[in-house]
Order: sequence, then structure tokens, then C-alpha cells
Amino acid sequence: MTENLLEISHLTHKFPIDRRESLTALDDVSFTLRRGEIFGLVGESGSGKSTLARCVMNVYRPTAGKILFNGIETTDPRAFRKNRAYLQSARQMIFQDSNSSLDPKWQAWQVIAEPMRLQHVTPKRGSYRAEAEFQMHYVGLDPLYLDKYPPELSGGQRQRLAIARALTMEPELLVADEPIAALDVSIQAQIVNLFRHLQQEHGFTFLFIAHDLSMVEFLCDRVGVLYHGRLVELATAKELYANPLHPYTQALLSAIPVPDPRRERHRVLPEFPDTFPTDGVWTEIGPEHFVLKGENH
Amino acid sequence: MGEILNIDHLSVAIDTPRGQVQAVRDVSFSLSQGETLAIVGESGCGKSILCKSIQRLLPSGGRITGGHIFFGNEDLTEKSERAMTRLRRSAFSMVFQDPMTALNPTMTVGSQIAEAVRLHHGRLPKAEVSRRVLELMDRVGIPEPVLRQHQYPHHFSGGQRQRLVLAMALAGEPAVLFADEPTTALDVTIQAQILDLFRKIQEDLNTATIFVTHDLGVVARIADRVAVMYAGKIVEIGTAEEIFYDPRHPYTKGLLRSLPALSRGKATLPTLPGMPPTLMDPPAGDAFAYRNDQALAIDYEEAPPMFSITPTHAAATWLLDPRAEKNGEEK
Repeated sequence: MTENLLEISHLTHKFPIDRRESLTALDDVSFTLRRGEIFGLVGESGSGKSTLARCVMNVYRPTAGKILFNGIETTDPRAFRKNRAYLQSARQMIFQDSNSSLDPKWQAWQVIAEPMRLQHVTPKRGSYRAEAEFQMHYVGLDPLYLDKYPPELSGGQRQRLAIARALTMEPELLVADEPIAALDVSIQAQIVNLFRHLQQEHGFTFLFIAHDLSMVEFLCDRVGVLYHGRLVELATAKELYANPLHPYTQALLSAIPVPDPRRERHRVLPEFPDTFPTDGVWTEIGPEHFVLKGENH
Repeated sequence: MGEILNIDHLSVAIDTPRGQVQAVRDVSFSLSQGETLAIVGESGCGKSILCKSIQRLLPSGGRITGGHIFFGNEDLTEKSERAMTRLRRSAFSMVFQDPMTALNPTMTVGSQIAEAVRLHHGRLPKAEVSRRVLELMDRVGIPEPVLRQHQYPHHFSGGQRQRLVLAMALAGEPAVLFADEPTTALDVTIQAQILDLFRKIQEDLNTATIFVTHDLGVVARIADRVAVMYAGKIVEIGTAEEIFYDPRHPYTKGLLRSLPALSRGKATLPTLPGMPPTLMDPPAGDAFAYRNDQALAIDYEEAPPMFSITPTHAAATWLLDPRAEKNGEEK
């Protein structure tokens, strides 16, 4: 057991466009995930959030850089093959669109049991169905839904089902890519509370990718800000929201509309530039607070 | 400020293979010139269908089952399809969530805006059309319109595309602009700019806007008045101040409480239990009763009427009935 569950160092990922050109989706990104924390990753669409999640999950093979998961170098093909069974159950993913991430032809209990079947795990509770029932109870889904098909469930229920599926292998790391973006406001709060519960009561570690900054502030312990493939700032949620230093973080935070009409209406927003600086040196500004510091900002 | 739109007890039903969905149930409100009314609610609560039914653009199987839509002195529910087409050109415009699907990728943006100008104004001299195109592009804040009118949608960023869609929507100088989640697909920094553009246009042109969204932060920035929809009904309507600072319906209260901005540092977010009912077979009585911990016995039997709180503020909950006074107040 290592103290840091996930160590990402100098991760770069490029997508080839044609023989000469390529698109740099991730550019020299480094950070670590500690055991038992919820790490938030924010950034606009196209900033490389999902690419990073896929590199962590070995869906993409990064162009350069290293990812260590529990001391295993997952970016090294040999180390990955050797530890494949462990890695594929210790890391689980939850997607944004539960409509397409769950097979509509499978009943809920089959969906939940699938990872166990794939890994040839003998169910602890007698049968796959019993195991599924336990997991459903665990994520606050009525066992009444065991035999339902995903299209028969509401968005929030489907997302709980996806979470239940991710939990069956008792993973050490849960990667959630925009898990609440497609849900209604009153349901978002329920799912966020569930994540909080899973972290505090059961010690799961989360990589929580989102663009809803106020949810990230509420849920996450530490937050990293991605911009055009660069990690521009990293701090505890409290510190980042109270004292943002990078111009992009500042713009991002000042743009969140406040649900208070008298204040919000009269708030004049600064002119945002079209691009923000992505050059500079990764500098530790304060305790646990890092920023990409350039000469002009 | 004159009242230009008056919705009177409007009900809309949609026939589907699985049965009839009562998408809009007995909705009444009015809209004045130069005003922005935000309609908030969860997906499937009927807010988009409400917008479409006002323009009589219902999907197949959908029909107005009751009530009236007054535009000025005319009742739109009695108009022929031909008369509606004419009216839609001159009176209404719509902006959708995803600008990329609203724009034609094979046409230059200038010619798309020109198309909208011609559609709304009939035959115009070429020079006049292109003058208007440039004026519209300038109005929505596209820099260098003379150059950029010859570019294609993929040359523009997401925020600029939404500006172009707005330019097309404004080509007909609409009296009422419908905006259905126009900023949901945009990044927050861009969203703020588009919202300010909506406000500026409203001030310049005195357009009335119906703004559909689920983001209460956006509502706070843009809305003069707010209508909260739940299960096909408007459960509360009032000025933005009344809705945010003095919510009366338990659903509105629950929505505002579940915002993370108000729960900083707390262990959990307050939530509304359960989930919205389906509109296939809406429950008798108050549809929200099943999620409401203050529900009264009558909530399960009879739908509450709108109780007036101030001349501009009304809510549909039995908690406001004078007989329920004791139960109405929390704490």
C-alpha cells in the first residue's frame, strides 16, 4: 500500500490528425491522488478532462509520461499485463450518460453482476442476484428494480445503477466523468450526497470530473484546473475558491452565476480574453497550492 | 409596458404509443413587452412543450386540449395553420440549446442570416439584405462582420455560434423570443457573455423573452419574473426577488435549498426525496405531495388552486390556504 493511490507524472497525450500534425490533448500534466480523497478536475469542454480519465483507465496509451496506480506503472504494457486482473477491478468508471453506458437489454441485476462475471469472482452472498441486491441497497436503489431494464428507470436511478455496478468489485479508485451533468437539480444533490457518503463511510477514492464548479466546491477535497491540456492550478477546494491565482481560474470562478438576483444582476463581469496563458513554471505558492506561474501573471 | 402574451388555462396532451401524456396542465401566465420570464423545472416537467405549444409547433400527436393563448387580441388556439405560419414569421423566434444543430454546416453564416432576413421581410433589395446581415452580426457582437459573413459555422467557436443563431432569431424583429436552454451547452465564461448579450438585446429592442432553463444561477442573472414548473403545472410564479427571497411552494423551497452554493462546509446537501411523477397518468391532487414532507391530507385528493400572495406572486399549494395556516409555517 502506498500513500498516494494514483501518481500521474508528466502525462502528455497527442491525437494524430494527419501524418504531420497532431492535437495535444494533455500537455505535461502531473498530480497525485491520495487515498480516501475526492479529487475534482475542472475545465471547459475540450480541456482534456476526459482524455485524462481514459489514460488513467488504460483506454488510451499516453504519448509520454507515467501513471502509477498503487505502485504499479499502468502505462508500462508489461506491468499492466502482469497486473491486469487486479487493475481492471481496482479501478472503476462512472460515465455521464447512463443511457448509453448501460446495456438496455440487460436487467438491472445482470448489469450490476457483469464485472463479477467478467473477473470470474465467486459471489460472496451466494448468488449474483443476491450480490446485486446488496449493492442496490448500498446505493439507495429499491431492490424492487432488480428485474427492470435500464430504459424503465429514471436518469437518477440509472446513475445509481451505474454506481452500483462500479462498486461490485470493491474498487480502490472510482473515476467519475461528469456523473451528474445529465441529471436534474434535485437529483444531482442526491447523487452528490451518495458520493460523499461512499467516501466518508467507506473510504473510496474518487477522481471527480465536472464542469459544475459549485458542485465541485461542495464535494471535493482538492481541485485541479485544466485548460487546453495544461494543469494551470491545483489546491484544496477551500483555498482555490477563496484565493484563485491563475487568470483562467479567476475567470472561471467569477463567471459562475450566483443564485441571488439582487447581487447577480448588478455584478459586472470583466472582459474575458479569448485565450489564457498556458506557459510558465509550476510553482508552489502556499501550502498545497500550486499554480502555473508565468512572467506576466 | 404592454402585455403582449396572455396564456389562459392552457392544457396540452401528447398521444404516444404508450398512452396520453398530459404535458401541460392548466397553465396561466402573461408576458409584457421588454420582460424576461424564466421558466424553471426538471426535465420532463413540460417547459419545452409549453414554449412549443404557444407557437403552435407541437410534435405530431400533440394537441391543445383546453385554454387560450392570447397574442395581443388574437386567440392563437383558433388560428388556421396558414395564419399561424404568417404570425410565426413576424411575431416569434426561437433559440435552441445546441447552436451546431441550428446552423447549416454547408452554408456561410452570412447567407444563413440573409435567408432569415428574407423569410421575415419578403422581397428586399440585395444591398438592403446585406446591410441588415451586417447590422445583425454587429448587434450580437461578432467582430469584423464584413469578413466573417463569408465563413462557415465550423470557423466559429461555440459561443459565437450561439451569437449567430441569435442573429438569425432577431432577423424578424420578433415580439417574443423563446430561448430553450441557450447556454447549457456552453462553458461558464462564455455563458456569462451570452446572458449579458440577451439582456442587452432586450434593452435595445424591447423584446419579450421566455427563457427556459434549469440553472437557478442563470435565472438570477437574466430573469425579471420566474415561473416554476412541476409535473406540467406552474406551481409558483413571481418576480425574481419574490421567488428567490420569499419562495412559498415547497418545491421551489426544496430546489433553492439543494443548491451547493448555500451548503458550503456542510456534510450533505439538502435534497428533495423521490423523483418527479410521470405525466402519463398524473396523480390526483397535488403532484408534488409525494415528495413533500409537509403534505396535507387534502393534497392527495384535490389539486390546489393558485393562491395569490402579492399582485405579482402566486403559488399553488394548500399550505397557503387560510385554513392550513398552522401547518403552513415551518419551524
